[in-house]
Amino acid sequence: MAEYKAVRVEAGRGGWGGPLTIKPTDERKLIYSVTGGGIHPVAQRIAELTGGEAFDGFKSSAPFDKIAVAVIDCGGTARVGVYPMKKVPTVDVHATSPAGPLAMFIKEDIFVSGVAPENVKEA
Amino acid sequence: MRPAHTRYATTVTAVGEQVPEFIGQGLLIWFAEGAPEELHFFTVLHRPTVTTGGVRPGDLVRIDDKQFRVTAVGDVANENMVNLGHMDLKANGATEAPLPGDICLEELPLPEPRPGTTLVIEGDAAQAEPDR
Repeated sequence: MAEYKAVRVEAGRGGWGGPLTIKPTDERKLIYSVTGGGIHPVAQRIAELTGGEAFDGFKSSAPFDKIAVAVIDCGGTARVGVYPMKKVPTVDVHATSPAGPLAMFIKEDIFVSGVAPENVKEA
Repeated sequence: MRPAHTRYATTVTAVGEQVPEFIGQGLLIWFAEGAPEELHFFTVLHRPTVTTGGVRPGDLVRIDDKQFRVTAVGDVANENMVNLGHMDLKANGATEAPLPGDICLEELPLPEPRPGTTLVIEGDAAQAEPDR
């Protein structure tokens, strides 16, 4: 059994939603980076502070029920809604607000945006 | 008329089941093959051959024999396109992108892509430098 720590993720400049508290478990330990260019620094920081496992969603896939948090670099339409729809806490590194076809799933208690590494703190 | 420069070119490999619904809202979402499976249901998956980027207003998007003038480009649209093959094409005629990932097009009916459909984005060669 690994030991995991909680982090608090706050909205960054111009961002929306949150704060979210993220604490991985043995069942849900993946810090799932669905971003261009590999593991995003925000996902890397969440993984380092929590003890979760950084995972590149563009290299291989993982079921939703293994994901502690999804980190996305969404421009506001598609990825912003998919993970909240599946009840996966979602961190957008861009400063987006609820919009797009899945906007109804994007709520403050499951989504936070505009997040930079310094907006991730030990809880 | 200066020569056209290809900023992006790709061929569709698969079309998600909810794509027609999104087309009804003037929206086409694209991701390159390799995108996580949970994104496939609303996505046009494709295999690009040109990924230069630098799309800007005034460029032309061709989807098979249909063509659309680009009216606005969001701040992160080119980055997403080059890195992930990801585009949010919105046929809303907007002259300012409502969302940072948007590539806005003239307000015309969008075609329904099929496997084998081609998309090409062309612009003025004098402005070929990617604007990112």
